[in-house]
Amino acid sequence: MECITPQSLREAHPALCDPRNLDASIEEVFSMMLGVSCTRMADASVADGQTDQGTVTAVIGLGGVVSGACVFRCSARAALRLVGRMAGMSFSEVDEMVEDGIGEICNMVAGAWRNRVPELAAHCGLSVPAVVFGKEYDLHMQSLEFQLRCAYGFEDVAFTVAIACGGLQQPKSRAI
Amino acid sequence: MSEVRVLIVDDSSVMRKIVERSLRQAGLDPLLAYEASNGADALETLKSKPVDLILTDINMPSMDGLEFLRQLRSQALAPGVPVVMITTEASLDRAKEALAAGAQYFIPKPFSIEQIKARVLPLLKTA
Repeated sequence: MECITPQSLREAHPALCDPRNLDASIEEVFSMMLGVSCTRMADASVADGQTDQGTVTAVIGLGGVVSGACVFRCSARAALRLVGRMAGMSFSEVDEMVEDGIGEICNMVAGAWRNRVPELAAHCGLSVPAVVFGKEYDLHMQSLEFQLRCAYGFEDVAFTVAIACGGLQQPKSRAI
Repeated sequence: MSEVRVLIVDDSSVMRKIVERSLRQAGLDPLLAYEASNGADALETLKSKPVDLILTDINMPSMDGLEFLRQLRSQALAPGVPVVMITTEASLDRAKEALAAGAQYFIPKPFSIEQIKARVLPLLKTA
């Protein structure tokens, strides 16, 4: 009988909050899928600049032993560069394929981050991505046990990733 | 080298393009790629289009990758065609589910060209 207790997940809690886990997840996704190495930026607000043409935000829900979300945000200009690089294509405007691509990047970052904590990998599912493109909007998440928000960049592209979780749950016991 | 016919199943149009591009970069050229955005559409495609390889995601609307695989086997579509799951659902339990449903291999996203070369290409030689 395997039972993962709240204590073991709380022991893993420092790993959840450690930005280095997010750094490693970003590096994994961006090196493999875009062929670039990102560096963490000290000031997240810098990454939110150049938004006069709008911002693209992707949200992946986390559910299971933790409830929360992974939020990936970048300017429209950065989105064109990111998806273009990943797909080997050129985009001139944020269309359905660009939104889809940002959703996929968020999906892979969320998955890579989750998989670094074995208890989460086994007991935390990801939702399908939701992507918003527009100007002057913000997202609000309630009941957060912790929030991790970091900015990254490569060349002249910048983006932010936020992981917000609340309500650590005890998973159901199961027989192996 | 004769043309390889591949069915790529993923609800993300970008990811379908990336998988096709990765297969070509790994050496599968010439390549004829069919696309489907979910398991149900993939089953319909296979009723009329013979393929040599199927790559599919797990998390998709309408019919997910695991149900698609089960239906593939129960409807005896594409017999003997290797299936590779490419997905962010990389837990051991999910991998076991996929292999039990009939997948030959499981590649987690993100993935590299080297993983495609090492794991996918040999399936075509033994199919």
